[in-house]
Amino acid sequence: MDIDKQQYNDMSAHPPLSPRPRPIPIDPESLELRSTGRRPHTRHSFTSDSDYQLPAPNLLSQSDSINSARSRPSVAGPTRLSTVSRPSLPMNMLPSAPASPPTPAPSPTPFSRQPSWKDAAEDEDGFTRLARAHFGHQTDAQRQRFLAELLNMCDNSQLSFVAHFVAPRLKKDPFEHLPDELCLRVLMFIDEPRSLARASQVSQRWHKLVNDDMLWKEMCKKYAYRRRASGEPDTSPRANQSHPYSFTSRNKRPLEGAPLGPSSSAPNLALSLSEPPSPVQKNKKRMQSQSHYMHFRHKYLIEAAWRKGGHCKPHFITPDQGVVTSLHLTDRYIVVAMDNAKIHVFNTVGEHQKTLKGHVMGVWAMVPWDDILVSGGCDRDVRVWNMATGRSVHVLRGHTSTVRCLKMSDSKTAISGSRDTTLRIWDLESGLCKNVLVGHQASVRCLAIYGDTVVSGSYDTTARIWSISEGKCLKTLSGHFSQIYAIAFDGTRIATGSLDTSVRIWDPNTGLCIAVLQGHTSLVGQLQMRGNTLVTGGSDGSVRVWSLVTNQAKHRLAAHDNSVTSLQFDDNRIVSGGSDGRVKIWDVHTGQPIRELCQPAEAVWRVAFEEEKAVIMASRNNRTVMEASHMCNVVLQAMLTCF
Amino acid sequence: MAETKAEQPRLTLASSDGEDIPVDKDVAERSVLIKNMVSDLGEEAMTEAIPIPNVNAAVLKKVIEWCTHHRADPPAPTDDDSDSRKKTTDIEEWDQKFMQVDQEMLFEIILAANYLDIKQLLDVGCKTVANMIKGKSPEEIRKTFNIQNDFTPEEEDQIRRENEWAEDR
Repeated sequence: MDIDKQQYNDMSAHPPLSPRPRPIPIDPESLELRSTGRRPHTRHSFTSDSDYQLPAPNLLSQSDSINSARSRPSVAGPTRLSTVSRPSLPMNMLPSAPASPPTPAPSPTPFSRQPSWKDAAEDEDGFTRLARAHFGHQTDAQRQRFLAELLNMCDNSQLSFVAHFVAPRLKKDPFEHLPDELCLRVLMFIDEPRSLARASQVSQRWHKLVNDDMLWKEMCKKYAYRRRASGEPDTSPRANQSHPYSFTSRNKRPLEGAPLGPSSSAPNLALSLSEPPSPVQKNKKRMQSQSHYMHFRHKYLIEAAWRKGGHCKPHFITPDQGVVTSLHLTDRYIVVAMDNAKIHVFNTVGEHQKTLKGHVMGVWAMVPWDDILVSGGCDRDVRVWNMATGRSVHVLRGHTSTVRCLKMSDSKTAISGSRDTTLRIWDLESGLCKNVLVGHQASVRCLAIYGDTVVSGSYDTTARIWSISEGKCLKTLSGHFSQIYAIAFDGTRIATGSLDTSVRIWDPNTGLCIAVLQGHTSLVGQLQMRGNTLVTGGSDGSVRVWSLVTNQAKHRLAAHDNSVTSLQFDDNRIVSGGSDGRVKIWDVHTGQPIRELCQPAEAVWRVAFEEEKAVIMASRNNRTVMEASHMCNVVLQAMLTCF
Repeated sequence: MAETKAEQPRLTLASSDGEDIPVDKDVAERSVLIKNMVSDLGEEAMTEAIPIPNVNAAVLKKVIEWCTHHRADPPAPTDDDSDSRKKTTDIEEWDQKFMQVDQEMLFEIILAANYLDIKQLLDVGCKTVANMIKGKSPEEIRKTFNIQNDFTPEEEDQIRRENEWAEDR
């Protein structure tokens, strides 16, 4: 009995609710304690001494010689095994037990029921009691041998019983066992939001841990939701963020210090600083104060909508079949230029605001900057508009042939390229031409601006680098064998796409060709450069993703049956439109198709997207249609109304 | 492994339950804690047993087993944000086998690795637990770890709706 007492004391000193229960105490506790605790339930009330009397010889002889066990199958396992197991169940009934954290969750197996003692033979209880006492005296190694002997005698059904009996006891809630910081470390290795969301439904403790905002900050990082993320303090230069969606306007050139280009969708920070905050900026501020969890959820739902959700709203803009020549999304407007001389201005949800009338022939180029729009086309005029009022501000005359491309380098400077082979730099405040850039031998087809530098691509097969302030040509880029149709410039590299089917990468400082990217089989008319990635689209219907580190193709997408008429990409996806009437979304990392957006049309003129919206200009039943897809789903909308 | 090393200096670690465990110095020094102690103690570390008061012998032996296998590994990247931490699921095969222990032992190893400052072992342990959670429903997680659902039905319902967004893909 000394042992019993001692262990009972041990146990009260270390009740099982201690935060880190040690492995050893549990078994003996339950074994010994039960022999006292359960006493009233046994049919015979023995004194402790009498416990040992009856079966003592049997038990001793058996345990003394380990090998003898197998030779005594008559002392069959079932009863003794059940005794050994019986102890642990009533753990819960012990005074110290109820609060114990590892209270087994109900294990639904049939085996979890305790063996019944109703039909036990007279001597069973005393017999097993002896075994318990014996077991209690043994060292760990002895106990293992003892148990192994018993288990060796068991048949499958008994072993199965043991397995089911033991399994839940070996399970522990890691988050009760570990301190918070280690729990979070575990959770940070789970990068699937679904697993995390499910983990938060396990228990109160898990819920609290999974809702730790540090965890979701990590998740935002892992999912690269930081780029335009508002949840983070705005440390990244705004320049990086401002052009994700500006394929159609290729003026990605903002540099620290330099005023930001009004690419199609970027808010103009330089200007807005001196202005009362626009609703969008207020929105941004609100987003900054929201938790990383909310931020992650918001972004994740948008991603999900891009994959399979979103709703598509068609707006018919002309009854006749006008060709859309240009499309821009800004933070205030959707602007559409047509070859029928009209320019349509919509608000960001696609409601028609203004029609800008003044051009007398097709509009082929335009660039928005806040409320200003500069446009040009076949009538040779460059026009400056105020989109808020719909009024014409200036008509800039000088070009002697079609204006083919337009960019702005700051809020009051526009640069136009024309079929008359010249570029003109315009002061939008005075309405005067500041400089005429002469040098190309044929039509100037495309422009890109970065800082004080403008690069132009021409049908004369060359590209030129010009200084805007000095108004002079710095370099001529020769190498293409045919007309240049597309150009991009990010300050460190120039990319040109040509009718000769190749793409060339140039060093803007030396004017030398760094690489020739081959693979397209027809005109390369679309290209966008972003970081170390270049995406090109050709009249061969294919879209190619290139690494500008290796200058090799990463993905070759058989995108459209016919020409790629429009394309744009960001950190996650490529959206391409083709003259086959389809708009397709691709994973920019894997090159896998994600989905087709909207129903196929007769032809897609232009596509443009920003984070939560895609706008398609297409022809359906001989009518020109603008379709705006909003990338939010019901859950997201419900969520947004909460804030 | 580098069995050829002639005279590997040895240390003695004293576990919380009073067992003295001899171990090669380079193995023990996978633990930043022990490494720092040894450099603080100097020669004394070679003669006296180093007390490891938070780790019992069974766990300590397991930790030493891991350190012995990984004694020649390149040092852990000190940058906590390194990519190796972000790549979650992959655990090398030996470590996977090593971690096939009962849950209590697994958690004890994590605690010991944390206390002894053995970052790679800590990460292997945490990844192992993370992998036990991944891809499971709440009920499956409860079963895996024998956890009691302590939500009221109302709470459970609300939390389920709160988390529906992540199911939607």
